[in-house]
Amino acid sequence: MLEETLILFRNIRNPDYDKSLKGYKKAGGLKALKQALEMQPDEIVQLTKDSGLRGRGGAGFPTGLKWSFMAKDTGKPTYLVCNADESEPGTCKDRELMLHDPHQFLEGMMISCLAIGCRHGYIYVRGEYWPSIKSLNAALQELYDDGILGKKLLGKGPKLDLTVHPGAGAYICGEETALLDSIEGKRGHPRVKPPFPAVSGFNACPTTVNNVETLTCLPFIVNEGAEAFKAFGPENNAGPHLISLSGHVNKPGVYEVRLDANLKDIIYDFGGGIPNGKQLKGVIPGGASSSVLTADEIDVTYSFDALAQAGTMMGSAAIMVFDEDTDVVKLLHRIVRFFSHESCGQCTPCREGTHWARMIIRDFLNGNGNEHKLKRLHRVGGNMMGTTVCALGDACGMPIQSFTTKFADEFRDVQALAA
Amino acid sequence: MPVFHLDGQPVEFEPGEKVLSAALRAGVEVPHYCFHPGLSVVATCRMCLVDVVDMGNGRPMPKLQTSCSMDAVEGMKVETKNTKTLEAREDVMEFLLINHPLDCPICDQSGECVLQDYSFEHGTGKSEMEYAKRVYGWRDVGTFVALERNRCIHCTRCDRFTREVTGTNEFGMYNRGHELTVDTYADRPMTNKFQGNMADICPVGAITDKEFRFKRRVWRLKKTPSICTGCSTGCNVTIEYDKNEVFRLKPRENPAVNRWWMCDEGRLSYHVMNERENRIMKPRGRVQGELQPISFEQAYQALAERIAALNPGVGGALVLTDTNASNEALFMLRKLAQDGLGAEQVFCPMPDWQQPDSDFFIDSLITTDKTSNRAGARELGLTGVADTAELKTTLETNPRVVIVLGNPFEHATELREKISKTQLIVAISPLFNGWTELADVVLPGQLHSEQDATYTNKQRRVQRTHIAVQAPRQTRPEWQILAELLLALDKDAGLDSADAVLQALGQAVPTFEGLSLSRFSEAGVLLPGEANDPGRSVVDTRTAAA
Ligand SMILES: Cc1cc2nc3c(=O)[nH]c(=O)nc-3n(C[C@H](O)[C@H](O)[C@H](O)COP(=O)(O)O)c2cc1C
Ligand code: SF4
Ligand code: SF4
Ligand code: SF4
Ligand code: FES
Repeated sequence: MLEETLILFRNIRNPDYDKSLKGYKKAGGLKALKQALEMQPDEIVQLTKDSGLRGRGGAGFPTGLKWSFMAKDTGKPTYLVCNADESEPGTCKDRELMLHDPHQFLEGMMISCLAIGCRHGYIYVRGEYWPSIKSLNAALQELYDDGILGKKLLGKGPKLDLTVHPGAGAYICGEETALLDSIEGKRGHPRVKPPFPAVSGFNACPTTVNNVETLTCLPFIVNEGAEAFKAFGPENNAGPHLISLSGHVNKPGVYEVRLDANLKDIIYDFGGGIPNGKQLKGVIPGGASSSVLTADEIDVTYSFDALAQAGTMMGSAAIMVFDEDTDVVKLLHRIVRFFSHESCGQCTPCREGTHWARMIIRDFLNGNGNEHKLKRLHRVGGNMMGTTVCALGDACGMPIQSFTTKFADEFRDVQALAA
Repeated sequence: MPVFHLDGQPVEFEPGEKVLSAALRAGVEVPHYCFHPGLSVVATCRMCLVDVVDMGNGRPMPKLQTSCSMDAVEGMKVETKNTKTLEAREDVMEFLLINHPLDCPICDQSGECVLQDYSFEHGTGKSEMEYAKRVYGWRDVGTFVALERNRCIHCTRCDRFTREVTGTNEFGMYNRGHELTVDTYADRPMTNKFQGNMADICPVGAITDKEFRFKRRVWRLKKTPSICTGCSTGCNVTIEYDKNEVFRLKPRENPAVNRWWMCDEGRLSYHVMNERENRIMKPRGRVQGELQPISFEQAYQALAERIAALNPGVGGALVLTDTNASNEALFMLRKLAQDGLGAEQVFCPMPDWQQPDSDFFIDSLITTDKTSNRAGARELGLTGVADTAELKTTLETNPRVVIVLGNPFEHATELREKISKTQLIVAISPLFNGWTELADVVLPGQLHSEQDATYTNKQRRVQRTHIAVQAPRQTRPEWQILAELLLALDKDAGLDSADAVLQALGQAVPTFEGLSLSRFSEAGVLLPGEANDPGRSVVDTRTAAA
């Protein structure tokens, strides 16, 4: 039986935990920040590199390495911007951290600011997350009142301010460069890269964008060391990871897992299996944009590398389970409708392709599909991939291509049923 | 310069230059929509995809790259025409065309539409969009341009233009995804003075020039390089015409003068090139108080006789010109004044003028000096007059002969009244004006669109025009009229072409030395030495606007 790991969720799983600053300190909080203040920024970066921490926002990019790309000696301020836009369908892990243990996350953010020399950090929170915004602002107030944030970090360090910036409800503003545009007060449109944010990001200054969960790993890494963090997963897949389990499972929710757990065990042990004794049809393993796995394919280690090898991805670690009675055509329609609605529209393949694909799938739903359209749908999905400014084109293309390949017969059946 | 390989051919590039701009400079056409050299790079149309088979380190890029955003690197090998890129381009074209109305037969861009061109070359016709196309209503967006949003391919050039080039932020992108569209803000039509450029840079027929719409199919137009004479900037333009009628002016790229742009007022100046009503078609002479058509020869003969009789000399002749005349005309006028009439000076208006300065280059184009050759007049040492009161002492000598080139001191009615009493007034001009009304002899000149001539702009850059349209049969270039007058006065200068005049000018005025029309750079020639016009002042339009 798979057991939950309790690193990031250590406090959250404690029913008596008081999430105020006082409570957080009582639970051993801010120790890491004090220690980080004694360290050189380069040492924190090196420690993070050694820990093998990979970004939890979707791309799994090594965090320490990303920090080391920050342009040096530019004479400009550097920025850390936390991506709390959490909008990938099925994902709700960052919300838990911000709502129920904001100080652990904020401590991670403060440590990271030290690492990259940031004096003013921003937290870009999804527009719909009002409770999280309130929770973070309350926690920040406590930090300011206690003299931890402000002119001197912890009363002796450099100046550090943190600001919460609510989004306005666009999925695309979770893409890091669109997010920066949005904070700057522009339309959130992903920027062409290079230049990468590490060279020219927020207000054209060197900037790092990190996910909430990524930053929340920092207190543990500083307290317990790189090796301790690495121990929570196979080589190159370090640390505990939060998953958002949803769909046809008995116990949906956010769980903390080691990165060597098996996907099947996650579904059956944490999720308690499929409701009403039904059979599993498939699993979307890493948010709406990851390629779907069929019931036969779920015996796989839930890690960055193993999932990539299985032809899909960890993404935002949102696992969506669907049972035998699920209409996959409808499911794909729902996914594509989402991406078509959320595309910013600047790239030709994404703007036109997401909508076109949606229209073709609708034909199937209306009984107007055929073999020719199935092929075309597959091709349109493919043409959106790898040809756009941001990964949203791929994000829509991957489910289209995997559904039309792995569940091609169901598209044909819908057709037959309607006929 | 470092070199990379494009389809096997070596191409030189400036460090930091993108693959696409280097390719375009080398004359290799890589299809593109969103890239424009005057705007920031967004890399969103995805048309310019190329295959980087070697990054310069022996390794290929796994995915196709947008050449507009890809830095050129020494030793890099780029393929623009292999199967992979051609297929990718076809796919992008397919996406672009599914929602495009393809109403080429009624679209004004037809013939110069990049979408039309590329769909010819890169379309496969495999797209069958069986769903309703996107439809938007018509919007009035500006005084100068019309918007047909259904044809828009969302390249955002127009949006970037008002943000980055004019700084007026009047035009932008609305909605997102499939519903993305362009419009003005808050329903307000645009007011910037450079809207015509948006029609130029729009790669399709979504933004078109209201002036030009529906007048002529573009493939019928012939094109001749020229300059705008609407102000002292002298934006480089192309005159586009058919059957001797000018239909529009388009800016011609010149990094040192106007970059890719020109102003709307300058664009409208093509109207005068087609002017017939107010055009002087034949020489005229006053017979019993009435202006009657005569021939050039009759005019010259009569003038020779009268001038000999009046024997003007110093104080007896007054020579006036505006600063719209070409360098050649001004030089010959100076010659006529000195050699033919014995006058020491040629007077021209030189009021103070302002050069705008702002954060946006384009604002610096429109100067308050609405003449095309003030700097040329200054080089030639003509006597500038800021106020007609300065002519008072000159007029006290009661000149007997007055020669007027063009339409100087247009609004000085008092001056005109005084001069009207003169025994002999000669006016040379392509158009009727206050002076031609007074004149005893009127000689019809030609417009800059009808001659080979040079003008000196505010930077002291000499720029040339070419004969684009044919002038009315019985008109002559001003330099020629003046040369013929000299001949009639027995003071032949032996100059029988515009080029000969320019070369003679080079001998007389050192800064013009060596200039010749037969080998003249289309980018113009900056005169040596310092610009030093005391009438010039710089106005900061940032503070002026506030
Ligand atoms: C369309 C799109 C949406 C994204 N949305 C989010 C998001 O909601 N939250 C997030 O953390 N990262 C999101 N990302 C990933 C970010 O661009 C970025 O990679 C991430 O914030 C980096 O943080 P990390 O290195 O800590 O993972 C999105 C990416 C794309 C292409
Ligand atoms: S891929 Fe889609 S969402 Fe991303 S920048 Fe391009 S159009 Fe916008
Ligand atoms: S109107 Fe023209 S310039 Fe503007 S986005 Fe559309 S196609 Fe591009
Ligand atoms: S700025 Fe002056 S020269 Fe340029 S187009 Fe306008 S009027 Fe003509
Ligand atoms: S020209 Fe390069 S993407 Fe548009």
